[in-house]
Amino acid sequence: MTDETKIESGLLYTGEHEWAKPGEVVTIGISDYAQAQLHEIVYVELPKKDANVAQGEAIGAVESVKAVSDFYSPVTGTVVEVNEALLNNPEKINSDPYGDGWIAKVKPSNWDANAVKLMDAEKYKQHLTTLKH
Amino acid sequence: MELRKTHIYQYHAEHGNVVDFGGFAMPVWYEGIMAEHKAVREACGIFDTSHMGRVIAEGPDVVKFLDYVDTNDISSLTDGKGIYGNMCKPDGGIVDDLIVYRLSAEKFLVVYNAGNRSKDFAWLQKNTKGFKVKLTDMSDRVGMIAIQGPSAVDVLAKISATNPSTIERFNIAPLTISGFECLAARTGYTGEDGFEVFILDDPVATPTKSPRVWNDLVAAGAKPCGLGARDSLRLEAGLWLYGNDIDETTNPIEAGLKWVVKMKKPSYFNGRKALEGIIEKGVTRTLLGIQLMERGIPRHGYEVYDGEKKIGVVTSGGVAPTLGESIALAYLPPEYKEPGKEVQIKIRTNLVKGKIVKHHPFYDETKYGWKRVKA
Repeated sequence: MTDETKIESGLLYTGEHEWAKPGEVVTIGISDYAQAQLHEIVYVELPKKDANVAQGEAIGAVESVKAVSDFYSPVTGTVVEVNEALLNNPEKINSDPYGDGWIAKVKPSNWDANAVKLMDAEKYKQHLTTLKH
Repeated sequence: MELRKTHIYQYHAEHGNVVDFGGFAMPVWYEGIMAEHKAVREACGIFDTSHMGRVIAEGPDVVKFLDYVDTNDISSLTDGKGIYGNMCKPDGGIVDDLIVYRLSAEKFLVVYNAGNRSKDFAWLQKNTKGFKVKLTDMSDRVGMIAIQGPSAVDVLAKISATNPSTIERFNIAPLTISGFECLAARTGYTGEDGFEVFILDDPVATPTKSPRVWNDLVAAGAKPCGLGARDSLRLEAGLWLYGNDIDETTNPIEAGLKWVVKMKKPSYFNGRKALEGIIEKGVTRTLLGIQLMERGIPRHGYEVYDGEKKIGVVTSGGVAPTLGESIALAYLPPEYKEPGKEVQIKIRTNLVKGKIVKHHPFYDETKYGWKRVKA
């Protein structure tokens, strides 16, 4: 973790560096740390719209020139929208991971049960300090 | 285990994203793979290749010895000429690919892959039996930098005592660079024009000359490039990566390297009999290029299908920044070799459509690569 790594408060995080923004519909994406690790993102395999997904399930992938990173859903529910703009501009995840770089929106089926398994910004920051890079 | 450091390590540590590459601390990128890739296709990039193996082979039997271990015709070389070839096991499997340069009648420079340094040296040493030849591993005493791209010759000329443009492709000659005695070979691993320079008498424990040459090249306008761009550039050029596209379980015939196997040379060489048999019987698989027609990035190990039938495995794959396409190399049955033939690559759970394309190189040679420079 570098000093510039951004951790947005109000979001919940997974140990694999996905984030979820709580709400009626939960917006999900990957963290600033994850995008920096991948560097130049060149391809995103989006989750499928209308798919039922489970927390912890691999529902897509984010790829840089050198590496593939599976995208695990931080939430259980139904995918209601995917960020199709990423198909032609995957680098938006690099430039704005918590904003324009969102990956999907999921209508949760049991959010409270999901939320307890996620980290808040403070805990996620702690988690990053335990990682080597 | 502590990683081995090359002559240029200090620069990598200060400017690059350093990883463990086969036990060496090497940069994957400095600014980014895309920008570094582009610099080499359009201008000039430099790579630290000091992790590669460099051996001096010398003695009265050196030509006979090298002709015994190398598939290509070493006896055809005159002073200052180099040649790309393979070293094969008796069964035809590839021990490594390498370049052999004739420095003088009884003195040759042998350059091979970093990841195979100890294996190759032991292999060479073992095969010296019966030949009057002496091998000296120079890898830790000589620095090595690749200078690649259409303007590589101009960049190198700026810091050299004489103009390197007189060195022809696959030739090697002494060149004073940054005031230091070097050897400059007109070779590389990017598909572009360029040089691989050997900075002599520069021990890796206390390197002074190689870092100076590197810094002078940067000041002369070369862009430092990491292993990421090295890999994407060689893939676009359709150049084999040992460990991915060729290894001890593949042979030069199926790898598309029959042109470096010289059956007509007079002497016997390792693997000759097996390779003759393979040529006679015909190969069961051949290395082909695939370009995706749908979104996705093929990677090493992904399976290739024709409908329901699995027909092969991707050995190298990725995005081709110059082409803006996703490309792959894969061993497939020879009946798939027709350009345009459709196959599918399994990317995670999806079968993604691709087609066979020419792959050596993947790009248009009138627009990119060393051939266009002279045109």
